[in-house]
Amino acid sequence: MLRAWIDRARLDPPIPVWIEVRLEEPPTLTDDPRPVFRQPGVVVRADPSGGGVHLTWETAPAVAEVHATQPKACVTLSPSAAGRLDECTDTFLVTVLIFLLRRTGWHHIHAATAVDPAGRGWLLAGDGQAGKSTTAALLATQGWRVGTDDTAFLTSLNERITAVAYRAPIALRPPGYRLLGRLGGTLLPRRRKLGYWPEELGGRFAARVVPDVILFTSVGIGPTTATPLGARESLAQLVRWSAWVMLEPDLAQQHLELLAALAHQAKSYRVTLGRDLFARPARLTELIA
Amino acid sequence: MTVRYLRHPELRFTAVEGEGVVLHLRTRRYFTVSESGLAVLEALAAPRTLEELVPVVLDRYEVTPERAEQSVRDFLERCVTADLLAVERVG
Repeated sequence: MLRAWIDRARLDPPIPVWIEVRLEEPPTLTDDPRPVFRQPGVVVRADPSGGGVHLTWETAPAVAEVHATQPKACVTLSPSAAGRLDECTDTFLVTVLIFLLRRTGWHHIHAATAVDPAGRGWLLAGDGQAGKSTTAALLATQGWRVGTDDTAFLTSLNERITAVAYRAPIALRPPGYRLLGRLGGTLLPRRRKLGYWPEELGGRFAARVVPDVILFTSVGIGPTTATPLGARESLAQLVRWSAWVMLEPDLAQQHLELLAALAHQAKSYRVTLGRDLFARPARLTELIA
Repeated sequence: MTVRYLRHPELRFTAVEGEGVVLHLRTRRYFTVSESGLAVLEALAAPRTLEELVPVVLDRYEVTPERAEQSVRDFLERCVTADLLAVERVG
């Protein structure tokens, strides 16, 4: 099942990553002096002096220790964690993967990625309520190629910043799939969402996207609007949605420079998404023309 | 007594649009600094005194030495307040 998860993600990092999995009750962590960084369901302890990273899953006993410099991790799953492997991969193991890939030069960003019919790369960043998934699904219905609705990795390829997609279904909440008006999809019961592959919606998968346009999205009650941002404002937003930049000093400089290069590479906009987009999806490209 | 300024080891910074963006990894705060401020931070790869840092501004801008010193002094004080720099007193 873990192999299926890795295969489905369709990631191809420049050097292999290794995850050793043990099925046993994990040891209890006591007196770990490393500063704590929390995200929903996962506690991350990272050593400011360049040591490894320790991750704890809060839902069921599971821990991971990521090597300080190499893309290697040792994961210990309790039987109860192993019994909830779907949930474990979606929250805990994907975070372990984020730290492993960071050691290969791939830096996580909370964003959707797509390529429009003209071949321009798009990156949509924002929180879980920012309309990224619904917009990604809408764009797929318009024949766009979609990489991810949520999780991408930034890297430098041929002197261009490229966003590599973590392939997973586009996950829509009820308001999103009602707006989309499409049947089908796969029920994601734990997340109370419906999952759609881009191909189901008329789009295709884009494994890698070179962003030409960045949208920092939120959902509004009026019509869709777009406000251009300068590179400095864009970088501030990119740091916000690529928050692991704040961890691990040895990797933070490379991560920050990738974000700065991306802010220079792409035109950035703050976009308020309105329901009018569903009647007229082309409005998005018109607004940034 | 000599006063030297030290950059916090967990600062990471880069240039964008002629300014500097600084991340403080310990406090997880984000700062923007002017181009001259970025030059001063870059010069602080090793501990430096105010007198050693003033030429960083003088070499780049057409300002009087007094104005450059005041500018650097103000910047250093703001950085110390924000925990971007520490002060070391020697001798």
